[in-house]
Amino acid sequence: MGRFKNKNRKPFVKQIVKKPPTVDHVTGDKIPKSFVFSRGKLPGPLRQLQMDLRKLMLPYTALKLKETKRNNLRDFVKLASDMMVTHFLILSKTDSAAYLRVARMKNGPTLTFKIHEYSLAADIAQSQLRPRCPAEIFKTPPLIVLSGFGTGEQHLKVATLIFQNIFPAIDINTVKLSSCQRIVLLNYDKETKLIDFRHYSIRLQPVGVSRRIRKFVQNHQVPDLRSLQDVSDFVTKAGYGSESEADDEAATVNLSSDIGRVNRASTKSAVKLQEIGPRMTLQLVKIEQGLCTGDVIFSEYGNVTKKSENEEEDEQESDEEMDEQENEDEEEQEIEEELED
Amino acid sequence: MAEELQSVSEGGRMFRKRKMEHKKKGGKGKKKFKGVPFSEKRIKVDNKMKKLFEKRARDYNSDNEDDEAPAPVSRAKPTSYDKQEPKSYGKEKPNSYGKEKPNSYGKEKPTSYRKEEDDFEEEWVDDEGEDGNEELEVSEDEDGEIQPGITKFIDGCKAFRLAFKKLLKKSASDDILGPVLSAHKKLVAEKLAEEDVERKVKGEAKKEKHLIREKGHAKPVNFLNAHEKSLIGVATKGVVKLFNAVNKAQHAQKGLNPSRAKDEKAIKKRRREVFFSELGKTPSQIAVSKAGASNSSKDEGPSWAPLRDNYMLTNPKLKDWDKNPDTSVADDVRMSADSDSSDE
Repeated sequence: MGRFKNKNRKPFVKQIVKKPPTVDHVTGDKIPKSFVFSRGKLPGPLRQLQMDLRKLMLPYTALKLKETKRNNLRDFVKLASDMMVTHFLILSKTDSAAYLRVARMKNGPTLTFKIHEYSLAADIAQSQLRPRCPAEIFKTPPLIVLSGFGTGEQHLKVATLIFQNIFPAIDINTVKLSSCQRIVLLNYDKETKLIDFRHYSIRLQPVGVSRRIRKFVQNHQVPDLRSLQDVSDFVTKAGYGSESEADDEAATVNLSSDIGRVNRASTKSAVKLQEIGPRMTLQLVKIEQGLCTGDVIFSEYGNVTKKSENEEEDEQESDEEMDEQENEDEEEQEIEEELED
Repeated sequence: MAEELQSVSEGGRMFRKRKMEHKKKGGKGKKKFKGVPFSEKRIKVDNKMKKLFEKRARDYNSDNEDDEAPAPVSRAKPTSYDKQEPKSYGKEKPNSYGKEKPNSYGKEKPTSYRKEEDDFEEEWVDDEGEDGNEELEVSEDEDGEIQPGITKFIDGCKAFRLAFKKLLKKSASDDILGPVLSAHKKLVAEKLAEEDVERKVKGEAKKEKHLIREKGHAKPVNFLNAHEKSLIGVATKGVVKLFNAVNKAQHAQKGLNPSRAKDEKAIKKRRREVFFSELGKTPSQIAVSKAGASNSSKDEGPSWAPLRDNYMLTNPKLKDWDKNPDTSVADDVRMSADSDSSDE
């Protein structure tokens, strides 16, 4: 009986799972990956902000990370170590404000930001006349620009370190300019101690060409020549340039290689940025040594703990620590309110 | 009651006869027999009984005119009524009954009916007001063929029309509540006010909740203000710096593909030359930072960390960063590929 094979049965083929690369294939650097998730229940707009942050962290993030009420931080840590995830972005919400924690996996540190104000990507797009957000720009990691962080303060240095390593490093010898499509800007204001968090898309435009010709080359459409006397007018006559068309020298670059059909290496190109959101105004409130645990290295409100004995904590206690930490958050809010009074 | 007596005296024969009469009377028969004195045959009542009847009839009328059911003369009455009704309503001649009907017990009832009719007409007039004249004519037209409580179809239509007109003429009250039964007016108003208050409270609670949910959420303005413009400027500067740096670095390896092994050697060779030539330069001279604006630290010395004076003094591990402050940590990290290994 065993001799007769079931002809319908398909031979077992081991599925080849294509693992996402953990190192850059050109430079050999470790690629940082991130999780964006929330602790506690978030209201609608904040959940949207979480989604926007995930999009911002693309491509090396879990866009569809599911979380339930029962998930604690330990679950994420375990998952993260399996997936080689290096950074956590944790959103949480209290009655006074929303908080964003940026943590490096395993050993910390953890930065806690208070979100003073935020706008969603949808809000930004709504405010613009011509929002531009093609899907391709999320296929490459963004650049990051930190501005005003060089004041010499220690906590800002830690923040700089964390943020510079949150995206893959760029090797200027091998990088393709066509992969630089987005930029994240963090601007520290010394007086207000607030950090402006912005996200822009980068666009290049050839300089010194009239708008008409540029559009003609870009769109492949037959131009409307009704109003012109001669074909040469189309090239020679300059249209009305809008204010933004006036190119300043600072924003022009020479390209090392061609990008697309329009931007040639031989010509100069202007850098145009357009905001794609989300937009946040952050305040660095606290820095902890561990992953949401450990000593408070820096606190905006001045109650830095100086204990080093309890530094060695078990992984299992991290959840409790998490809760304690949240309690601390509340304490801080109280303190803050007092300060405001 | 008279027939009861007859039935006692004459037996079943009389009874049958009466039945026959009933059949004849149906419909138009009423009018025909108007004048015929039936009573001749039937009624042979002695005075004693007559008196009793009279008395009873008087009692009955005086007591309650309308109520017929409880009357003791249950059997005799139907016939007598049938006779009387058409006459009384049609012609309104009370005297005629008296002539036609010798029996005394019939005398009183017609009057009562007339009274009823008068009442009815009065009511009719009252209801209709000015239009009542028409209605009176109509009722006179009936000519006895129609029963008092029922109106003709056409008349009914008219009445309905009038009633409807009357309703339409009425102007609705200006009250917010609209037409409400007067007894409940106060109660309804109270209830509405209560609901209003409740809704207000609920709405406020909802608003508060919404405010808490939306806390910190700011809708951006439609125009670029100065702050945003400056931020874009900063970002643009960073991008330009990076692009220029890339341009400078990649200018040497033009035409070579870094992923091909053959070209890689050539690239490495060139890169080493560049590397050695740039080792001694200060970081401000090399534009390698992608984070251009943060490159503002003013420290002189070679860009590669080991060549600096304070190299071994700095521990790049984060744990001890606060123990020995070092201004050049940030620059080290930003150096990609070549000097980044120290951080991990």
